[in-house]
Amino acid sequence: MKPLNLIALLLFLAGATWALTRSEPVVREIQVGYFKTVSPFLKSGSALETKSRSLLRETKHSKALEAELSTIRSEIGRLRIIESRFQGMERENAELRHALDFKKATNFEVVPAQIIRRHPTTWWQTVEIDAGEDRGIGIQLSVLSNEGLVGIIDRPFKNRSSVLLITDEKCQVSVRVEGTPEVGIVSGQRGEFDNNSNLRLRFLSKNAALKPGQRVFTTGRGGIFQPNILVGSIVSVEKGPLDSEAIVAPAVNLSDLGTVFVVLSQNH
Amino acid sequence: MFRYNICTLFLLLAAFLVQQFVPAFTGLSQSRILIVHLVFLCTAVTVTTPTMLLLAFIGGTLWDAHSSLAPMIVDAEVYTQPVESLRFGYSILLFAAMGFLMQGLNPLFREGKWQFSALLTGIAIFLYLSAEFILISFVRGDFTITRSIIRLLSYTSLVTMLFSPLIFWLLYHLAKIFQHSLYPEARKHNLR
Repeated sequence: MKPLNLIALLLFLAGATWALTRSEPVVREIQVGYFKTVSPFLKSGSALETKSRSLLRETKHSKALEAELSTIRSEIGRLRIIESRFQGMERENAELRHALDFKKATNFEVVPAQIIRRHPTTWWQTVEIDAGEDRGIGIQLSVLSNEGLVGIIDRPFKNRSSVLLITDEKCQVSVRVEGTPEVGIVSGQRGEFDNNSNLRLRFLSKNAALKPGQRVFTTGRGGIFQPNILVGSIVSVEKGPLDSEAIVAPAVNLSDLGTVFVVLSQNH
Repeated sequence: MFRYNICTLFLLLAAFLVQQFVPAFTGLSQSRILIVHLVFLCTAVTVTTPTMLLLAFIGGTLWDAHSSLAPMIVDAEVYTQPVESLRFGYSILLFAAMGFLMQGLNPLFREGKWQFSALLTGIAIFLYLSAEFILISFVRGDFTITRSIIRLLSYTSLVTMLFSPLIFWLLYHLAKIFQHSLYPEARKHNLR
């Protein structure tokens, strides 16, 4: 080996060792610097992606759109009726609270955000939203849609944040199964990159009596997710010698997300 | 030569900016065109080993800044089996390994046979992604290969490889501007 190549190789190995031994705050600083530099291009890239998605949506078959519109119209009618009932109940509740001098114990504050970028990395199931630290978003806040749990804030930046979806193996959620005493941890499955991939619910009891269609909600344990958020529904159950596992279909259609809500308050 | 090397460094940085405009093909198991990797691999075969290592260091560091996840800070009593991520900086070593692989075909490339190097970029990307997946499996345990993973590896390597002639064409013209020859052996042969 030439002396120059040997010196270069030694310098390279020293540099690689330096990078591999960086602590989390230093990594975060490097990431902030990187995203600050590419920020204008990220905005343009996101806009381009959003435009192309909306164009694809528009080119959907008109009959399918008509059918969808008709379903949505009937759903709106149904929801209006429910809403009017809820308004009545809300009024009644407010009056009762006032009468009992009941102090509101929880503060469920949310920030709405738009999905601006999907799956920017190769292996991780993440999306990016257009809200960041400037709107009060911090690390590990839960992200919801009107259908249920979406994921968790992974890295907040100044005016954008990265969200780790529940379909990622790293996103673990403590959950309970509706109508049963069963609790477990739900997470994504490695190597599932297709749209609407299912989740795996682990650590159930050996003889867990679960049926397909039963809903799965967060327990609120573990300090990240609020309780009683819908995660999904049971698809199938696999019984093992020591415990059982179940496959769960996410409640949220993660491939077609538009608006999400970041829960700022961690009060349960 | 020096000016060409500096130019390749800027080309790699520009690739990071272009990468922001390249979305994942959600219908193809989220495969994508890895512009950064492609530019690095194509450049690696045209430069000396020290320059390749410098590009591997810069490319690997920035790629990890682009894609590494934050650690989960959770209640250990509830989440008894936390899922680990790959450490920041691992890409530097993978970039260098793929760079050395590309330089293995340097003698053929210097003779002007760039087609073999173009083919090798696809193989190198396939190996790079496979190595990443093996590392993830090693860190998290339980090695399973699904159809989805095979599709991701194959489609990403294939679509990225299809763009390699374009990058070689770009490098050829940049070398010409900076009066540097990418095919010195072919030139000697022609002079004879």
